[in-house]
Amino acid sequence: MFIKKIVNEIKSLSVGYFIVAAIAAAGLAVGAYRLYAGLGETTNLSKAFPWGIWISFDLSTVAFSGGAFTLAALVYVFHLHELHPAVRPTVLAGLIGYSSVLVILFMDLGRWDRFYHFLIYPNLNSALFEVSWCIALYSTILIYELSPVFLKNSRFSGVLPIIEKWTIPLVIAGVTLSTLHQSSLGTLFVIMSSRLHPLWYSMLLPVFFLILSLAAGLAMVTAGAVISYWVFKRTLPEHVMAELVWFIPWVLGVYLVLKLGELEITDELHLMFSSGMYSVLFLAELIIGVLIPIILFSFKKVRHNRVGVLVGAGFVLAGTVLNRFNVSWFAMRPVNGEVYSPHWMEVAILVGVVATAVLAYSLVAHYFPLFDETVVVTPAQEHIRKPRAVLSPEATGD
Amino acid sequence: MSENNTTQKEFGFLIDASRCIDCRACLVACSVENEVPNDISRIWIKETGVTGQFPDLSRYSAPYHCMHCDDPSCVSACTVGALQKSDSGIVTYDADRCIGCRYCMYACPFHVPNFEWDVRFPLIVKCDMCVSRLAAGEGEPACAATCPTDAIMYGEKSSMLAQAHQRIELNPDKYVDHVYGETENGGTATFYVSPVPFEEMGFPTGGIVSSAYTNRLVTHGTPAVAGAVAIGLSGIYLTIKHHEEAMAGLGEEAHGETAVSPSPAETDPDQATEE
Repeated sequence: MFIKKIVNEIKSLSVGYFIVAAIAAAGLAVGAYRLYAGLGETTNLSKAFPWGIWISFDLSTVAFSGGAFTLAALVYVFHLHELHPAVRPTVLAGLIGYSSVLVILFMDLGRWDRFYHFLIYPNLNSALFEVSWCIALYSTILIYELSPVFLKNSRFSGVLPIIEKWTIPLVIAGVTLSTLHQSSLGTLFVIMSSRLHPLWYSMLLPVFFLILSLAAGLAMVTAGAVISYWVFKRTLPEHVMAELVWFIPWVLGVYLVLKLGELEITDELHLMFSSGMYSVLFLAELIIGVLIPIILFSFKKVRHNRVGVLVGAGFVLAGTVLNRFNVSWFAMRPVNGEVYSPHWMEVAILVGVVATAVLAYSLVAHYFPLFDETVVVTPAQEHIRKPRAVLSPEATGD
Repeated sequence: MSENNTTQKEFGFLIDASRCIDCRACLVACSVENEVPNDISRIWIKETGVTGQFPDLSRYSAPYHCMHCDDPSCVSACTVGALQKSDSGIVTYDADRCIGCRYCMYACPFHVPNFEWDVRFPLIVKCDMCVSRLAAGEGEPACAATCPTDAIMYGEKSSMLAQAHQRIELNPDKYVDHVYGETENGGTATFYVSPVPFEEMGFPTGGIVSSAYTNRLVTHGTPAVAGAVAIGLSGIYLTIKHHEEAMAGLGEEAHGETAVSPSPAETDPDQATEE
């Protein structure tokens, strides 16, 4: 009976779901083969490039998922309640982002059969140990933050007040954990002074990673809102979006000054124009991800226009991806002329995981009250009703 | 890390590139001793290639394996502490702990750790000074014991370093005035002397500060950063809350309403039916 209900439910889904599910299944099948066959046959990783596109993907995805902690901080800690409607869709995106990262990390581990060893054999000096712990703990907190969405219409809705009561301390713990792992992903590369090109190598890498993740997070929230305007017919009020992107030029401004300042202090500024391909990558990263968004979002017109917001956020996200790929791949200097480009199976597994993520997000959005507090796009639209839901979520702190 | 070396003897290598004849007996000895295939070995040869104009040709080579750093980057990097620096100076590898994350491979400034790419459950491949062979009472690691020209010598670390300097002093025309390994990456337990600059043999030229030290400067800041962020956020939260309550006290409206509806979405029935 229950199974029949599920079958009927599946039949009622649109064809898009099945296409995405097929891509996901194919990718995950390749993943299973990778676990069976080892890394040599299924990847182009080598002694000179022991990490590849998977790590670059992980770094980018964690930066994007930074939206969850940025927004949680703005709403709960800084009391910008107007932004509250964006919290749930963003927290879900964050949770799914982190889950994808965990799956890919699992693929990346040579000894995936021992993945739990990071829990029982700590090395407190290791940046990767810190990253693993923070991501594991933070994912748990994201599940907590998201649990009202799943519990609301269930028979367990009685625990909701208790969950609400502990939200603030957990949000603060979550933001702290995010600060730590967003930055320690940069710390990972502090030990690679001999490999990473000096335009990117810096003791300040953790700071750069953290700041850029704030901008990428905000960009992700707003880009997501615009996309869900078309896909789910739910979105954020225009003034909320405008307020979110208003922060971006400030964040990126801090980033730009610190980044150039660090190069100036270490006397490496001239490398910006004299390092051939590295200079091109570096300048592309700064122009696409930093300069263009600063200029775009300085205009009120852009901040209040959906397409403008999407384009500006797109630049931030593209620049962030390029930055993460540069640090973990393109700017790693070759050893003995050896370079790396991914094996098709590496890419296939990534595509499969991303498809799974898209599927998971769509299904949750379809079945659970994810967008409760966002506004419905009415045909006549533009007279978007201000939601009632933005009063004071933290009142239970007393 | 190095405070306790007064009580415990540390061991190391002296490798002389002028004596190496590239016979690769050390590679075979290592592969047999440690039961690893020759192509993913713990030791290999670095060489200049043939240089000069005929008939004045020359070619130099030297065996190359883990340097056994004083403050090893790999030990600092290893997620699960599988790599450790032992009291006798060996950078050891615990194959039962390793999760195969390969962070050590990127962390090592000498590009030493190797990996069993073609194995379902792979491990890191890395010189451990034949620690089990030494424990069994053999005097030297397999490579040093095998080397027919004594290009690889093994012994007490301080003595190896002294001999390295002595060779350069006695033959200043023969050797480059640099003991590779003495200061590289903060100092190691493997000392090279060579007739040609080390870059020409493809030796990495890193800084003299161990990247493990740089790394610790950052990772050890974690608890402080965590504490500061948590307290800072709590402070901001309470300050703004206090401020808002003070403001509400002046206006005295909407206060009762907010107190009963924590997150209005949960308590607002008609919102749920809206879809």
